[in-house]
Amino acid sequence: MTQVVYLDHAATTPLDPRVRAAMEPWLGERFGNPSSRHPFGVAAAEALDGARAGVARAFAVRAADVVFTSGATEANNLGVIGQARAGRKHGRRVLVGATEHPSVREAAEALEREGFAVETLALDADSSVDLEDLARRLAPDVVLVAQMLVSNEFGTVYPLRELARVVRARAPHARVHVDAVQAVGKIECALAELGCDSLALSAHKLHGPQGVGALVLVNSTVEALLVGGGQERGRRSGTENVAGALGLAAALRFAELERAASLAAAKAARAAIVARLSEMPGSRVLEPGRRARGIVDAILALVVRVAPAEVVMHHLERRGVYVSAGAACQSKKGAQSPSLAALGLGEDEARHVLRFSFARTTTVAEAEFAAQALVEVQRELAAVNA
Amino acid sequence: MNAPDPDVILVRYGELALKGGNRVDFERQLANNIRIALESVAPAKVERHWGRMFVFPERRTEVALARLREVFGITSLSPTRRAELDVEAIGKVAEQVLDEALAERTAPGPVSFRVRATRSEKRFALTSVELDRVIGGRLKERNERLTVDLEEPDIVVGLDVRAEGAFVFARRVEGPGGLPVGTLGRALCLISGGFDSPVSAYLSMKRGLSLAYVTYHSAPFIGESARKKVVDLVRVLSRFQPRHSRLWVVPFAASQIAIRDLEVAGYRTVLYRRMMQRIASRLAEREEAQALVTGECLGQVASQTLENLTCIQAAATLPVIRPLVSFDKEETIRLARRIGTFELSAVQEPDCCTLFMPTKPVIRGRPEFCEELESRLNVEQLVEAALASAELVSIPPEG
Repeated sequence: MTQVVYLDHAATTPLDPRVRAAMEPWLGERFGNPSSRHPFGVAAAEALDGARAGVARAFAVRAADVVFTSGATEANNLGVIGQARAGRKHGRRVLVGATEHPSVREAAEALEREGFAVETLALDADSSVDLEDLARRLAPDVVLVAQMLVSNEFGTVYPLRELARVVRARAPHARVHVDAVQAVGKIECALAELGCDSLALSAHKLHGPQGVGALVLVNSTVEALLVGGGQERGRRSGTENVAGALGLAAALRFAELERAASLAAAKAARAAIVARLSEMPGSRVLEPGRRARGIVDAILALVVRVAPAEVVMHHLERRGVYVSAGAACQSKKGAQSPSLAALGLGEDEARHVLRFSFARTTTVAEAEFAAQALVEVQRELAAVNA
Repeated sequence: MNAPDPDVILVRYGELALKGGNRVDFERQLANNIRIALESVAPAKVERHWGRMFVFPERRTEVALARLREVFGITSLSPTRRAELDVEAIGKVAEQVLDEALAERTAPGPVSFRVRATRSEKRFALTSVELDRVIGGRLKERNERLTVDLEEPDIVVGLDVRAEGAFVFARRVEGPGGLPVGTLGRALCLISGGFDSPVSAYLSMKRGLSLAYVTYHSAPFIGESARKKVVDLVRVLSRFQPRHSRLWVVPFAASQIAIRDLEVAGYRTVLYRRMMQRIASRLAEREEAQALVTGECLGQVASQTLENLTCIQAAATLPVIRPLVSFDKEETIRLARRIGTFELSAVQEPDCCTLFMPTKPVIRGRPEFCEELESRLNVEQLVEAALASAELVSIPPEG
């Protein structure tokens, strides 16, 4: 049997059997609409409460602060559009990070069509958010600042706490929204620690099911994007996904419990690939900001010289190794990554960035297998080029 | 690399309550309540010192700070950095602490400050007055925005010099005040799904009472969801006391039917409430509670006249505490919003109080007439039956 090594966990992760077990009763014999007032409904509502309390615990907030959504895209939409609309009376300016996921960036663009002014924050030489540029842009009419916590391209940790501090001092009405999709389960994400008002997450990046996520928000309000039955305290109508919510809570619980183990696994996997770098002429690791603010080892960005990342990726595929050429959400659009440009990579070199992403299930043997394949693929392609 | 987070939280608490012999109990209880409140969100070691406490969270100092703002008995908190017992080290940390405080003040113009040192480690080379001067001078030199104001400074840089190190702080966060839960004993709170009783519960915990709860449920006239509403409210309130919150759910339909069948519609509400007080008084014995707490308020609804409250109270065998007695509805609602019970209470849900509601309740009830009516009931049997089928729900403190 050919070995399959999946190293694209930043795109999605396999479902943890323990998470599936937590969901299974509500995909089988148990059912009920949490809004029903008979015991079937009350039991479903209680299951949902349990899931909500679990999510709340992970972020050190109250249960009422958790809004279940269909995933991070919806959570980002609600965090950005919903909070900006709720803050409209204070002003109409919105600031977004340069590297934001399209679910944040395009949500902000949607706001532009209703009269908000949207500005993109500058990046510094480390491809991190430029706090001085932020400070210059801040004023009391800014109602929202959106910034991701961990880069999906390099794993760089953005300085959310410092950002929030600057925002508080200069824009008292602004809400700070954080896309924490790549951060949850890897670094501390309690809202009070980050200093932010809202945070979006997704279950399927944490060995949970696809189709469920949450917006966690403290002392903040949103205008609902989905209206109807008034579920989720009026912030997100639609009959709740009870099994999905339980899956998200279970995935978070295991991610927190096993955080140390998964960090160790990522570190070891990363080291196993980096150790073979000398056998890959011209290749280098991109890890901007590692010294200043740290990096999440679960993501490894490599510039490969021999061929565009897309080509290398498909060659690796044939050897059973699955990685990504840039972040999957952006790779279909072919747009130049602003973070790579900030690091001084030209449009051409930017096409040579290969991304490996690890999970707690990744073994050193798998990483070594992938590294061997990568060395061989590069040799093979170099021979073709020559 | 960023400066490491402040690693200690300085906790201040009320001085007034410390007079007399209960000081040690008070401090022990507060330390214990702090430890339990932080257990699930930011586990911490708590050290008691004369008149203040130090909390050392393993991680998540900001989370701990936010959580401690809900622990009754705490008047204020400061995230604190620790320095070695050395003037140079203290100066460095003081610079960092002051810089952080300044970063939060972006309005242009001068900022006044002072240093206020206290010194329990008397072997330290400088006296507190000398420390004020030396560290203050050093800080002022670094930033031309700074002016010294000893009377009403914008920023106070506190230095607490102790054997284990110097503790330096400038930020100060208000606590909730009140007394540590448990220091004033235990009470049983009658809770419904409305706005008032959860706020009453909050206020009585604030004054140092630990609470158990009782709610009355009229199955089969009302459903499971009414019961769940009360459970949800107690869950929100559970974060304000360290122990599990015990909620007794008492079936009440039998009492209500018996009272309805007396056919004196105007007295129904008063008689329901007398029955509730009776059952609660008995449950209080099980809970070792020394008082009952209710959400009653003077004059808010027809049943809450002085005469009716007298009728109702006469059925209780324990003192009845009514924290909301002088509150306006708006004040109650405002507090309900703050403590997080408003949205739950606002959900429309029939409860036992609305069952067989008379159109014209009596305004000035007479206790003798209540007794006369009740003589036609088998009160003791109704109470016993309710107690026998009371269900206990135990809710852990919400983190």
